[in-house]
Amino acid sequence: MVVAAFVLEGTACVQYFASRAAIKQESMERAASELRKAELEIENHAVELETAAKTLALLVEKSLDNPDAVGPATRLVVQTIRENTSLAVAFVPGYYPKKGTYYEICSSRISEDSIFTRQIGSAEHDYTQMEWYQCGLMHDSCWWSEPYLDDQGSKTYVVSCSHPVFDKDHKVVAVVCIDLSLDYLQRVSEYLQIYPDSYYSIHSHDGMAIVPVADTVPGRKYYIFREEIDATGWHLEIIIPDDVLFADLRRTGLFITLLMLLGMVVLAFILIHSTNTAKKLIASTQKNQRMESELMIASAIQTAMLPKIFPPFVDRSDLNLYGMVDPAKEIGGDLYDFYVRHNKLFFCVGDVSGKGVPAALVMAMTRSLFRSVSSREERPDHILTQMNRDFAEQNTQMMFLTLFLGVLDCETGQLDYCNAGHNAPVIMTNGAWRMLEVLPNLPLGIEPDCTFKSQHVQLHYGDMLFLYTDGLTEAENSMHEQFGDQRMLKTLTDTAANGLMENGYSPRHLVETMKAGVETFVNGAEQSDDLTMLAIRYQIPALVMRNDIEQIPTLAEWLEGLDIPAELKMPINLALEEAVSNVMLYAYPNNHGQVFLEFNRTDRLVFTLTDNGIPFDPTKQKEADTTLSAEERPIGGLGIFLVRQIMDDMQYERVDGKNILTLYKKI
Amino acid sequence: MKTEIVHNGNQVIAKFIGRLDTPAAVQTAEDVKPLLEVENKEIILECAELEYISSSGLRIFLSIRKEAAPHGCKVIVRNINDEIRQVFMMTGFVSLFDIQ
Repeated sequence: MVVAAFVLEGTACVQYFASRAAIKQESMERAASELRKAELEIENHAVELETAAKTLALLVEKSLDNPDAVGPATRLVVQTIRENTSLAVAFVPGYYPKKGTYYEICSSRISEDSIFTRQIGSAEHDYTQMEWYQCGLMHDSCWWSEPYLDDQGSKTYVVSCSHPVFDKDHKVVAVVCIDLSLDYLQRVSEYLQIYPDSYYSIHSHDGMAIVPVADTVPGRKYYIFREEIDATGWHLEIIIPDDVLFADLRRTGLFITLLMLLGMVVLAFILIHSTNTAKKLIASTQKNQRMESELMIASAIQTAMLPKIFPPFVDRSDLNLYGMVDPAKEIGGDLYDFYVRHNKLFFCVGDVSGKGVPAALVMAMTRSLFRSVSSREERPDHILTQMNRDFAEQNTQMMFLTLFLGVLDCETGQLDYCNAGHNAPVIMTNGAWRMLEVLPNLPLGIEPDCTFKSQHVQLHYGDMLFLYTDGLTEAENSMHEQFGDQRMLKTLTDTAANGLMENGYSPRHLVETMKAGVETFVNGAEQSDDLTMLAIRYQIPALVMRNDIEQIPTLAEWLEGLDIPAELKMPINLALEEAVSNVMLYAYPNNHGQVFLEFNRTDRLVFTLTDNGIPFDPTKQKEADTTLSAEERPIGGLGIFLVRQIMDDMQYERVDGKNILTLYKKI
Repeated sequence: MKTEIVHNGNQVIAKFIGRLDTPAAVQTAEDVKPLLEVENKEIILECAELEYISSSGLRIFLSIRKEAAPHGCKVIVRNINDEIRQVFMMTGFVSLFDIQ
């Protein structure tokens, strides 16, 4: 009897603690997931506004010679934003002398089809004194204001996003500014109120309470969950009192049912809202936008979102990339993107179904999803599964997209990748190009709950990847023949084989040769789809040595890792040692400095030695005369002589205050 | 890099072990100084265990060779590996030394 009671009590205890742990776990997961939803919603608003600001800045930049083109540009862009708002372009005082000192064009959308555009700059309304203008001038890209109360217009909290407008000489000539009412945060709050008695708060990056938290009671224990919004720097918090969490375990069941109901209401709310938004967007797209302006906007969105500075990583010698989008007349939603995190290269190439502004907006959204999901997840299959789920939730226009996503570990050379219905990329290993094997995963946006499978391949220094969209392989000539995989592969192989020496393996050269190849093939036929290409080369990192003879043994270690014939290793080691010690001796007579050694393998071995020392051309050094007798021979002069003997060619350049010595060896 | 010098009757044998690269040459130049004082003997540079030599190492060999003649010495280079032999060919050192 007693034993039974103990067992029963024990079981109850175990059950109690198990339930307690389960509730805690469940609430942690819920909080994390709700925070993510709220974050995504805020992030999306931010990205939408940033895209609009960048787009407007680009449109203004394109027609700087015409001050009257600013008004129409602001009207166009204000229509692409899903909420009523106002935006402005303010020029530096006196930029257009005919327009007076202050010139600020403002467009406000009051309702779906009424937009007011007017010039509001004047001595009384001196925008140059305003924070959004001053900060916009100083930042190279988007700047977010702290939230402030709009006491003139809407009487609600507002944030502004400013973006500079540059002229051809990269001088700031105007600032674009868009207001965002924070009313939408009411909707986000629904996510954050995860228990009836829990609290939540939203703080700006300077700590201002946008949604303040209720007072906490001393002595009460709280669980706090926190998330930061990348774009705006805001902090979200969910605060759950301990006693709320565990007050009554028996009520849990009822509670969960209640919460599920609440969730369903929220879901219904979102569904209704998003359907309305879609209808609104489609309606306004059809109603207001002439073909040509739509093209301008779509193209500007594309240009604004994609990385376009090459080479992209000046401080990395192990990665070389080049990407481009060649837009068709009717622009589609092609994209490529890449960045490095934790010594891993995250990259993707995708193609959105459909064309024009809707496709370009989906493209912008995809890029932001790629960045936000991959900022906390490293596995390509997980990234795509999450992106697909988020995308499906916001996919108001029933669009889908194909996407190839890769994560290259620069430390080990392992490439993990996952392909969502996109064209298989081409890979070069051991000097030979072949199509990369890809699993048949679905494109994104079709089935919200599908899971993706990733694959991996080992890359070695010197290996390359070539990614593209079907705009390349399906480019047609006037006979309706397609460019196709075979021509693409042949072009890649030929470029690498006859490549202008080391250029043959330069991503930029590869992409440009391919583009020229397609242009020759289509021979003037009109391009019907965007053409996107991204080439990536994984190469041996440069050897960096301090200006110290004692560093020379690292040279031999570095050479061990290079892909060069065994019989050449010793002579090349010797030649490089002679070249390096020469630089250490002469280019850095007394100060500290560094010597950089890079390797490239083309049809020759190419070594590039760079230093920041005083100008020093070793090719001008006097050579040893090897015919002299021992008595006549001077002790020195052998170093550069050996370099010449071992290598096939040696060239010196002085560029940007650097000595660059390039050594070539035939193989 | 290690240098061992052994006197053996009419011969002085200098044994080079390891990689004679630029940083190693500083110490090696110190180590071979006794060879520059030797008179009327056969100086043998034993290279069976010498893996690598750079121009600063060649300079040391040349300085030994330069001192030898006025001191009535003969210099023999023994057991160099094929790669170092190549370097001796390139630099014309084959004609300066008796290579065995």
